[in-house]
Amino acid sequence: MNLLPRRRAVHWIVLAREFLDETSASALLALTVGTVSLLSSLGLFLNASPLTSVPLLVFLASITYGWVRHRELTARAVTMAMTASTILILALIVVFIFVEAWPVFDVARAEVFGISVPGLRLFTQAEWAPRSAERYSLLPLIHGTVMVTVVATLVAGPLGVASALFVSEIAPPTVREVVKPGIEILAGIPSIVYGFIGFTIISPWASEQFDLVGQGTYLFVGAVVGLMALPTVVSVAEDALNSVPESMKDGSLALGTTDWQTMTTITLPAAFSGVSAAVLLGVGRAIGETMAATVMLRNSPQLPEPLYNVFYGYDTLTSAIAAQYGEATGNQLSALFAAGVVLFITVMFLSIGSQLIERRMKRQLGGQE
Amino acid sequence: MSTITSRNSLVNEETNRYEFAAGATIALSALLFALGMTALFEFVTLTDPVAGVPIVSVLGGLLVLIGIVVLGLGVSSRLELTESTPDRSAGLVASFVFGGIWFGIGGIVAAGMIGLDGAGWILPAFLFGGGAFAATAFTREDIGSTLPAGVSAILAGGVFLTGVLGPGWSWSPGSFPSDNAVTFFPSVVVPGSVLLCSLLVGWASAKAYAGFGARGRHLGAHVLIYLNALGIIAVLFGLVGFVVSKGAPTAFTGFTIGLGVGPEVTVLGLSFSLPVSWPFLMNGASVFVKIDGILPAVVGTVWLVIGAVLFAVPLAVGAAVFLAEYAEQGRFTSVVEVATNGLWSTPSIVFGLFGASFLIPRFGGSKSLIAGMLTLGFMLLPLVLITSREAMLAVPDEYRDASAALGVSKWQTIRSVVLPAALPGIVTGVILGVGRIAGETAPILVTMAGGTLPAGSETIDVIGGFEFISTPPFVTNEALLEASSALPYQLYALITAGLGGPQFQDAPFSALDFAWANAFILLTVVLSFYAIGITTRYYFRRKLNR
Repeated sequence: MNLLPRRRAVHWIVLAREFLDETSASALLALTVGTVSLLSSLGLFLNASPLTSVPLLVFLASITYGWVRHRELTARAVTMAMTASTILILALIVVFIFVEAWPVFDVARAEVFGISVPGLRLFTQAEWAPRSAERYSLLPLIHGTVMVTVVATLVAGPLGVASALFVSEIAPPTVREVVKPGIEILAGIPSIVYGFIGFTIISPWASEQFDLVGQGTYLFVGAVVGLMALPTVVSVAEDALNSVPESMKDGSLALGTTDWQTMTTITLPAAFSGVSAAVLLGVGRAIGETMAATVMLRNSPQLPEPLYNVFYGYDTLTSAIAAQYGEATGNQLSALFAAGVVLFITVMFLSIGSQLIERRMKRQLGGQE
Repeated sequence: MSTITSRNSLVNEETNRYEFAAGATIALSALLFALGMTALFEFVTLTDPVAGVPIVSVLGGLLVLIGIVVLGLGVSSRLELTESTPDRSAGLVASFVFGGIWFGIGGIVAAGMIGLDGAGWILPAFLFGGGAFAATAFTREDIGSTLPAGVSAILAGGVFLTGVLGPGWSWSPGSFPSDNAVTFFPSVVVPGSVLLCSLLVGWASAKAYAGFGARGRHLGAHVLIYLNALGIIAVLFGLVGFVVSKGAPTAFTGFTIGLGVGPEVTVLGLSFSLPVSWPFLMNGASVFVKIDGILPAVVGTVWLVIGAVLFAVPLAVGAAVFLAEYAEQGRFTSVVEVATNGLWSTPSIVFGLFGASFLIPRFGGSKSLIAGMLTLGFMLLPLVLITSREAMLAVPDEYRDASAALGVSKWQTIRSVVLPAALPGIVTGVILGVGRIAGETAPILVTMAGGTLPAGSETIDVIGGFEFISTPPFVTNEALLEASSALPYQLYALITAGLGGPQFQDAPFSALDFAWANAFILLTVVLSFYAIGITTRYYFRRKLNR
């Protein structure tokens, strides 16, 4: 049982020894100096020290030396450090937003079976009163995000998959040359521009048409956010549809089926996991969309009555952060970071889920390509 | 022999008439759909008369007409008066869609028109929904597709014609409290039901036109999918055109071209006047200028993009080189892949929170340009990394092998073979990524936001801000540590300040016009990046395919 890790360790030691034997002493020295100085400048930066630039200069000097004398090794080491920075950034994001969110989790403890669970009260009561009662709740925010996301998914899911089918299977080449960049450009319109149009045109229109009290509805925010998530769904779903081997479609068409029959019985089922990954990524985009929601909603966290009332929009996780960050201090600020934590965890689950699905699809179709 | 011929010609004649009716119904549905859209966006008022008849009655009459025709198509196919190849059933998807729609119709009729209170709508809703489901699922395809569609059109049209939905009609669900009340008026309900019914009838008659069965489904689905694509493109052009028409006139106020009309600039000790004067882009907002402008925001956005690109692009391309060329597939690369995709989907506001808690305390403790630059750099990193890596993986291995066969070292191969071949892909990725971050508001809102309407004197001067000192950190830059404005943030600040809010002293436009012009400039900047990026990609792809 223990053999495997030990064998692996031996393997690493052998590799390391080979590396040490092959590499000259000066290269090793430059490598060590570079690594140590990079790590120490990182450490100093985390401590907000003005001395950060000293090891940074040492690092740059060691790279320059390495670049002149040992280019191969330096290129490899530097690009590897750059690669590691992605993991580092993600780790720093996790650590920093969790640390900032902790105070409110600590305050909002609640007892379950005699055990004090930090942060539970954020999810069990629905009152958000930062000034008067120092009460914070993520419940109305999560409710708002769910409402917006459901509407957005109902818009972006079917329309996005239909557009992906159109672009990848149906459209004649000339039409595709127009539609595809068109959908990509739709992704380029900044969310604040959508929000501005929503705020000046759609919200007043909705309030008048439905005789609402005040402005801001989850329904139309969801529709706008769905439009913004649509390009993500289209481009990922289109990739999935394109990855279905032509031979499978040809086999079906050769039997005399129509295009549509081939799509529904061969292409869509084969690409199903990829298409659902596309919808998941679209959901992730919708959850994280900030500015359109901030500008179009009422920015006062509470639950509408009845709960499914999509015509009244109060606040979402993202819009609460954007709208309140400027004036929040203390526990309120920490509660906003807690909203960020919930967002981050949800989106990370969606991202990892869609990656697993895509990987599975690649494995399934991989043999035939 | 002659009887067979005459029977054939009879069937042919029937078929011709049938196809004509189906085609005409498709066309009428399209017309109704367009009419419904114009009514929904209030280009026409429902009570306006057309040839003496109010529009709502015209819509009702047309709905009844297409409803009856589509029913006739279904019945004549069922009675085999025409050649068609229907399946045994219209299928589960259609059944659920029709069941759902009729569930809604039942509920609305019970609650909104008969006025059943409380949960009284549930029973009729289930009866109607279940009936429509059964009528679709358990009849032959020709009846199952046309019956529910035709009947809903006839019902809606009949309601319009009889005047039940007159101008005075309204309905608000009783269970909603007064501060969360919703009221439905004919101005929404009528166009909404016209849109829905025209979609249903259009789909059913497209199926009928192709004789149901596989070909019918093919045509029905294609009609809907083409409509969807057309709708998305229409939305795109509508949005862009709307912003341009609202914002361009203000943005170009006082725009002149001519020798020496522009502001004076000094380049390399030579000072001269620019040949272009564009006050909206070249002025700040203050009482001292005639035409208020957004110069500080434009300059802020430019510096933001430069900073983010300088930080993220080398990092991302280096990481992509490692992943594509050096690394072997293993645990490290798959962790990096998960991390990169995770960063790609992390919401922009979370990046903002991270920037605020991580960067601000380490760069002077207040919102600053450099915090915004680096935060956007963090966002740009995964965008560029993913596209660069794909571009490098797309370089054929033959290139690398040929280079290696000449005895060229690995890094030399990467520099002189892989990177040049992948350059178009990398550049496209950078341009599209920059387009994305240039329009981001949320991260800079919490990391570098400046004032609402900065004056021209608040324009940030990064190059002049550098100072060298003898103690660590040896170099400082006041400008980088100051808060600055940026195009998307300024638009947000204008909205939150209230668009009736800051009135300009003597400018020829209002605050709302100013905001539209700001949106127009922002959209132009961002979409130019996208247009350039997409065009380069198409250009290089076509070159590769040749």
